[in-house]
Amino acid sequence: MNTETIHTTEPQLAPDGRGLPSTLEVRNVSHWYGNLVAVNDVSFKLQPGITGLLGPNGAGKSTLLHMMAGFLKPSSGQVEIIDQSTWRNPQLYRNIGLVIERESVYGSLSGYDFVLFNARLHGLPHPHEATRHAIKLVDLETAAHRATGGYSKGMKQRIKIAAAIVHDPHVLLLDEPFNGADPGVRVFLMDMLRAWAAEGRTIVFSSHILEEMDQLGENVIVIVAGRLAASGDFRAIRRLMTQRPHTFSIRSSDNLELARALIAADIVSGLDLENGVLVVRTKDFDRFTLELPRVARRADIDLTELDPLDESLESVFSYLVEA
Amino acid sequence: MNLYILRLTLRQTVGQRRTWVILLFASVPVIFALIFRLAADADENRLEFFMEGMDGLVIGLILPLTALVFGTAVLGQELEDGTAVYLLSKPISRWRVVLEKATAAWIATSVVLGISIGAMALILLAGDAEYRLILAGSAALSFGALAYVSLFVCLSIMFSRALIIGIVYVFVWEALITALINNARYFSIREFTVGVGDALVDDSTATFNASLNGTESVILLLAVAAATIVYASHRLGSFQLGDRT
Repeated sequence: MNTETIHTTEPQLAPDGRGLPSTLEVRNVSHWYGNLVAVNDVSFKLQPGITGLLGPNGAGKSTLLHMMAGFLKPSSGQVEIIDQSTWRNPQLYRNIGLVIERESVYGSLSGYDFVLFNARLHGLPHPHEATRHAIKLVDLETAAHRATGGYSKGMKQRIKIAAAIVHDPHVLLLDEPFNGADPGVRVFLMDMLRAWAAEGRTIVFSSHILEEMDQLGENVIVIVAGRLAASGDFRAIRRLMTQRPHTFSIRSSDNLELARALIAADIVSGLDLENGVLVVRTKDFDRFTLELPRVARRADIDLTELDPLDESLESVFSYLVEA
Repeated sequence: MNLYILRLTLRQTVGQRRTWVILLFASVPVIFALIFRLAADADENRLEFFMEGMDGLVIGLILPLTALVFGTAVLGQELEDGTAVYLLSKPISRWRVVLEKATAAWIATSVVLGISIGAMALILLAGDAEYRLILAGSAALSFGALAYVSLFVCLSIMFSRALIIGIVYVFVWEALITALINNARYFSIREFTVGVGDALVDDSTATFNASLNGTESVILLLAVAAATIVYASHRLGSFQLGDRT
């Protein structure tokens, strides 16, 4: 596999973050567990704004995020936030908020007491005021005095975010923050993070879901098999993704005739006929899906089955690496 | 210091099922004392029975197991379930986290043991004015609990199977190896604890038969507590997500 990295543009800045120095820098970072290389020589710089850390499950996103949060020591390289190493540097947490993927919270505490506990550990001068503000931001005021053990997954996610932002950090790191959240909560959290980023904060969230990046990620870092596969503006990367060659398997009333018609219509870049299935490749997804039924109708062929063969995220990410 | 971690840990400890199981376990010597007291000809040997119960059952079994359960749970459980991140992603020193957690485990252990030997003394020694003996036993248990919980908190940071390692320490090292190899007593918290007890009792009729003197025992207990707290703080500073979660 070719491991050349795609850089579409320089990382984007939030509107009022332009010109600011990078707040987070990952420099030649690798991490391995025994013989397994989880993150391999990754480098990037981030300024204020939202950055999505995208990649399939097991790509090394969480490992990278944990190194950014100072909860994992890089095997080599350096991770710095506001020019300070994140490893063994507790004082840096004055500037960092962290939301881990696991649901765990102190179940016996109410949401309010949980956030207040976090505010007090930060040594905030007005912990109750900060707690009320954070809970208001995540819209959990009505459930604030209920035990978190009885919260739904979405509520737990929101109270975890409230605890992570109670000290108003410059950098917010979120590991799969939308996992398990219902669509309403997802939209709410996305709006909240957008508003936070617009105030000049650096927000990094990991996800393996392209649609989440589409809705939130201005800037994206794609990690595949521990390597930096692409970074930059998400829309440019998304274009690359949609313009990649697509493969479909087709069953029809006359595969041979359909193959001739598709070649004549010039909407496929290659095809194979094997075991009663027509496998076609196209570089223009939109045109192919629009023209296929028309070509079939003109040739008087019935289409009985159409399956995309390479729609998994892994294949999309692999394409990015190979591009 | 506001001790928020200590307060939260004690609050959680009270609400946990394991605390009530430990309390039941700690009531075993009380039940034995009650049975002994109800026996018709037991009056003459009450002091002896109390000393044997303290030495064999309370110091030898209930103290280390209570300290083991609380010591490994106060921080180890949070490291396992991921909630430790809420403590560790704060601008506070790791030694403060360890110290407050160990103190919470020490308080919980002391309270359970206090209830146990308090009730036992009430049943066996009421009216005998053996206050010095009861205080000596309590002080020895308290010193012993401090060293035990510090050790077990440290083990819980180092290993995810700290409970099993702790059981091996108590039942293999302290109960078996120490009895077989003379110099092993210098590495046994149980021996230090009875050493403190004997030094404080100061009574030839009631003794735990300690093999170390009081000064040695106090120094060794404090050394174990200090060394394990310091090392635990160092290890917690290098805690890595994914190692345990």
